[in-house]
Formats: sequence, C-alpha cells, structure tokens
Amino acid sequence: MSNSAPIQSRERLVEALREQITHLERARRTGDEAVVPSGCPALDRLLPDGGFRRGTLIEWLAAGEGSGRETLALGTAREACRQGGAVVVLDRAGEFYPPAAIRLGIHPEQMIVVRARAEADDAWALDQSLRCPAVAAAVAWPEKLDGHAFRRLQLAVEQGGGLGLLMRPERVRHEPSWAEVRLLIEPLPHAAPRAGRRLKIQVLRSRDHLEGASVEVEIDHETHLVHPAPALAHPADPRRAAGA
Amino acid sequence: MCIRLQRWPIQRIRAERPELEAKPIVLCETRRASRRVAACSTEAEALGIAVGMPFAEATALAGAEKLRPEAYDPSGDREALEALAVECARFSPLVGLDDSPTPDSLLLDVTGLAHLFGGEPALAAAITRDFARRGLTAHVALAPTIGAAWAVAHFLQDKQAACGFAPPSQTGRSRKRLSAATIIPPDGTAAALRPLPVEALRLSDDVVELLHSLGIYHIGQLESLPREDLTTRFGPQLLERWDQATGRRAEPIRAQPQPHELRVERSLDYPTTRRRTIELVVEQLIGQLARMLVREGRGAVRLDCRLHAHPSHTVNLSVGLFEPSAAPRHLFELIRMQLDRVWLASPVSAVSVEAALTAPFERRQEELFADGRSWRRPRQLAGLVDRLAGRLGRGSVLRARLIRDAEPELAYQYEPLVAGCHGHLARAFSDALARRQCHPTRKVKVDRRLAHKRHPGELPPRPLRLLARPFRLAVVSIMPDGPPLQFQLEGRPERITHTWGPERIETGWWRGRPVRRDYYQTETTTGRRYWLFRDLAAGAWFLHGTFE
Repeated sequence: MSNSAPIQSRERLVEALREQITHLERARRTGDEAVVPSGCPALDRLLPDGGFRRGTLIEWLAAGEGSGRETLALGTAREACRQGGAVVVLDRAGEFYPPAAIRLGIHPEQMIVVRARAEADDAWALDQSLRCPAVAAAVAWPEKLDGHAFRRLQLAVEQGGGLGLLMRPERVRHEPSWAEVRLLIEPLPHAAPRAGRRLKIQVLRSRDHLEGASVEVEIDHETHLVHPAPALAHPADPRRAAGA
Repeated sequence: MCIRLQRWPIQRIRAERPELEAKPIVLCETRRASRRVAACSTEAEALGIAVGMPFAEATALAGAEKLRPEAYDPSGDREALEALAVECARFSPLVGLDDSPTPDSLLLDVTGLAHLFGGEPALAAAITRDFARRGLTAHVALAPTIGAAWAVAHFLQDKQAACGFAPPSQTGRSRKRLSAATIIPPDGTAAALRPLPVEALRLSDDVVELLHSLGIYHIGQLESLPREDLTTRFGPQLLERWDQATGRRAEPIRAQPQPHELRVERSLDYPTTRRRTIELVVEQLIGQLARMLVREGRGAVRLDCRLHAHPSHTVNLSVGLFEPSAAPRHLFELIRMQLDRVWLASPVSAVSVEAALTAPFERRQEELFADGRSWRRPRQLAGLVDRLAGRLGRGSVLRARLIRDAEPELAYQYEPLVAGCHGHLARAFSDALARRQCHPTRKVKVDRRLAHKRHPGELPPRPLRLLARPFRLAVVSIMPDGPPLQFQLEGRPERITHTWGPERIETGWWRGRPVRRDYYQTETTTGRRYWLFRDLAAGAWFLHGTFE
C-alpha cells in the first residue's frame, strides 16, 4: 500500500495487535474446536460464540453481484478446514473460479468442486456433503429452499458437524430460516479503494440478541485480512444519497 | 510334464498372423546400435540365417524383398506364454513357466491326474490337440521329474525329428501339425537321460563349455565321474541340476497364479421388473462378492452390475470408487443409486455383479492427504466422493489444480477424484486422460513444474466468479486505450469510480486461439467489483467475472 497514510498504518498495527489479543483470549475462553472463527474478527465480536459453531448453517445474503460476500464466506471455509477436513464447493452454475479461492488460502488438495447439472442433484449433493463428517465446510448457492428442505439441511449439518455456508439472494431475508446465523453483506464504496474494499456485514439473525447489529469491514487486497473499516475514512453512503 | 513350444517367438507370431505360415521369418533386436537376428524360423534357417547374425547379413542371404523383419519382443512372448499357462489350468492345477530368462515351455504337475484323461498318452494327445487348435506345435514330454521332462522335450525330440520320427506334416493350408509326445516311465529316468547332451541339464553356458573342453558331451558320461568332486570342479549348478533331473533332489514348479474371477451371478426363477426384488438380489450378490473380496484382502475399485432382461436386453450399471472398498452396504448403496435411475423395459431374468477392478486394501489414495494436511476421516470422505461420483458421474466431482498459464480460463484444470477405467494402478495415466477430457479442443503445452508450488500470495488477483463465456458490454471510456468509465449491465448504467489495471494478457499465436486482452478490475459507485477486459483484437469490451 504505497499511498496509505502513516496514521492509517499505525491504526492498522494497533488493530492487528488487538486482533491477536482477541485470538489469544478466545483460544483460552472457548478452548475447543466447536467454534470456527469467521476469518473476520470484527464479525466474530458480533456473534454470540465469537465465531460460527460447527454443525450449523450460515446464510449469507447479498443483493446483486460483485458484493464481496463469497470472499468472506470462503474466508470462513478456510478457517473451518484449518484443522483438516475438506471444503466442498457445490458449483452448479459452473462459474466458481478455483484459482481465486486458492489465493484466499484454501489448499487445492482440500477443495472438492462438485458440478451437478440438475438442481435436484445439486440439493442432494449438498445434503450428502453436509452429512459427511470429513467435510469441514460446504459452500452452496441453493436456488430454492423451502422449509422442509431447509430443515433437512440443518439436520444434515448437525449430523456431519461441519459448516453449511449458503449463499442466498437478499430477497429471502424475511423468509423463515433454519440457519443459526443469517448475515447480509452489502458492498460500500470506498474513498480510498486502493487499500482494499469496504463491506457492511449485518447480522440479520443469530441465537443471541444482536440481531440487526452491523459492522463495516475492509478486506485487504493483498493479504485478504478483514479489518474493521477505519472510522476516519467513513464516507457518506452514496447509495442512500442516490435514493437507491 | 513339460510342454515345449519350439521357436516360441516365431510360433507366436505365426499363430497371430497365419499369412506368415511357411515363410522365412526373422525377429530382430537392436543391440548396441546394430540390428541382429534374435530368432528365425526353420525356413529362414534353411537359407543360412542363424541367430545372432547381423540383420544386414541375413538380408543378403535371403534377399531384401523376401525377408520382412519383425520386432523381437521377449516380454510379449513371456506374457503370451503366461496366458497359455493360465489356460492350461484345465489340464493341471499346477502350471508354471520354465525358469530361463526367455522361457519357451510350460511345466505341469500331472501327478495322479492322467487317469482323468484316460491315461498318460491320452493326456499328452489331448494337450497336443489343444495346442494344434491354437496353431501351435507342442512337444510334450512326461517324466517323473521336471528336469527330465524338460531335457526330453528339448533334446530327445530334436533328435527324433532329425531322424524322421516326427515328420512335419504341413499339407498345404490345413494347419494341422503333428506334435510328438514322449513318455518316460517312472524307472526309466536315468536311462532316458544318459544319451542326452549335457545341455539338457539346463546348465549355464560356461559350465557346458567346461564340460565340452573335458570331452564330456553326454549325461551318461557324468556317471563315471566321482560325484563328490563335481561341485568343486564345476560349481554347485551341475550337481543340483543333475539331481533335479534324476529325482535325487526335489524341484518345485513356480506356479502361474490363476486370476480369480470376482463375479457372482444369479438367475431369477420368475423374471420380474419389481425393483424391490431386484434390489434384494443385488444386495445379496454384493454381500457374497464382499465376502470374496475380504478373503482376498482386496477392495473393489470398479464394480459392474448387469441386469439381464428378456430376451437380449442388458442393463449395465458401473460404479467407480475413490478408494478400494469391500463394505457391502457402501457398494450396494452406490449401485442402488444408479439402479434408481434405470428404467426397466422388460423383466429381468438374471443379475450378475462383478468386481471388475480391485486393489489391495493398503494401497490407499495418498494424493489428497499429501503435505501433512490430514483429513480427519479419510474413509468417510472416500465414501462421500464415491456417492457423489456414483450419482453425478465421475466428471462432476473434481479437484482443481493450478497451472501456470496467463490465460485465466486455462490457469487451472479440473481432475476427477474417482479413478476411471484404469483404476489406481494407472492413476497418473487416467489423470492425464481426464485432463484431456476437460479440455478436448485445447492442445496447450504448459509448464506445470512450478504451478502447484506457488504461494497463494503470488497469484494475481482474480475474481471468485468467472463467467463461462465473457459477456459483451457497452462501455464508455474517454481515451481509446484508456480505462472504462461506465458500462451498461442489464439495461442500467454502472458508473465506475475506480479501476485497477490494465493487466495485459497476451498469448502466442501458436496456441491456435490467441488472446490479447487488457483486464481492468473496476469498482462501481455502489462498491461492486467487476472484472472487465478490452479485447485488443476486436476492440470490444467484455465482462469476464465478478469479485464476489
């Protein structure tokens, strides 16, 4: 980051140290593997367990494309498979680009890409993957998910003990959910985007009382570390200004 | 018993290609840059050609147009002989090859078996008939010891043939040949051996040479030598071989392993289309097969299930496995997933299940577990991969591999995780095959030596979603070669606030479909990120991916 101001880098250093302390604290506090850090410490702080509990579904909602949602979700998948286990990507659309996922830090030998042609096959493959104890995380873009199918997925993931990361459109935010956590990801325009990209993560639903809590984060271009967005560089949201 | 196939390499070629019958054949091998005759037929020998002769000399003797050299293939000869040994199991449960480096005979233990064929002469006749039907001339010798049978088959019959005892009866195109059989009675071993040359004892060349230099040409002459001195003078081999021939020392036949057929079958008394019944039969058969596999310490890598329906319609179900398995429930589940999708047009009258490809259990799939990243539950993972590949097809369950290639579409390749028809033994091969299947039209030579060793951070920034086909966009940009400012997506204009780039990606003309593109990472007013490129050849803009 050649053009980042020195004040920003100091802030970042403090933040990095703070993250380390949080990590250490959390390691002592929970002490078990049941909770997977989301890969985004700011988000972890919003979650009741300081991360995602294994054996649960997490919904990631976003409207439109290019939002940065998958980057966050695959960051979580990367954390989930750190202790071993596979990441299964159910890429029915055939548009998943593995080199980008590898760049995020997921080892290619730990990643299984399943390309089902029919929607029913895709749903079945997701169910099977969630049920398998060797799968640390399954990433899927389920098209339709009625209450029945959703509940079945939840039982499957409970049995398998991995994470079910479901990428869903924003319009389902008012539909009932069997997911433990439902997040809404919104991209934000960045005043100095060379440093990274800004996102707003909103917890729409979780076991705890933090519904509606949100955090703005910044994903570093190079390291893919997710930092809380610096308060100084808080721009007005032009979407709101434009009435979008 | 010893079945000798004289000039086996020649016989093999003639059996495969009958048009070479009665023509001079020369098999050549290239040794130290010179082609030499490795084997030749009697017709060639009659022209003066001998084994070991340079091929040029043989051509000069026979004439270039008459002599067509064939490649000498000792391993192919051995394999063909091994295959014959397997077929000879109908004569004896114990069949082996002789232990020379280039074997030309089969050794059979027929002790106590001859009465099944109606006596020893009838057995020998049955064998010669069987070989004649394959177009092979066999010299059969029965003797109390392997050594004696070998000696008689190789040396007595040469003599007989020379004396006209077994005249070759090649009458025109009828490929019936007379084969000679010699039977040595139990007490006649020593007598039969006595007139034979010392080479008949299967000795190495230097021992034979030494014996010849001492004037010893026949086995009978050995009897007059002091036995205890033979080892010190001629080495241990002479006494060992002689004792084996005379029966003073036992000699085992190294048996050719008979392949076990891992196949179970059941015919149904009442042909049916009822799925439940068929499933039940398949389940029972798989249970049987699994027990057979466990006994052999092997697991199925490919399982074929056939449903024979009335009258000639057969449904074939085949599953490949990620890891050898002999678990009946797992195997049945895989087959059933395919069975569910089969429409049975007519009643099924018979069902068979076969483990078409097996592997020992310890031969685990290691590649996924490389570099110390232990999968916590490899068995369950293997089960999952098998199930997925069983229902979706092996081409749908994939692993990505990075390739050092500038063109984004070619910077990785998918490989099926489940072995195909070649199984684990030829994994590298099937991987290569799979790669070809993934990119059928692209013949790109890629340097992949370092591709998978790259650190993730060294990879260029790429979008997580790459469109299968770049999508043409209407783009506004001020300068002809400048960055994009605005583009139309689904009818609405997207204003670009930031761009990164250009990253020029250019591939050579030799790739057949060269690529010249300037890629830009762009952020719009809403903070969304798109990956656009300008095709430098066409001058048009395309959307290639989104940074999800």
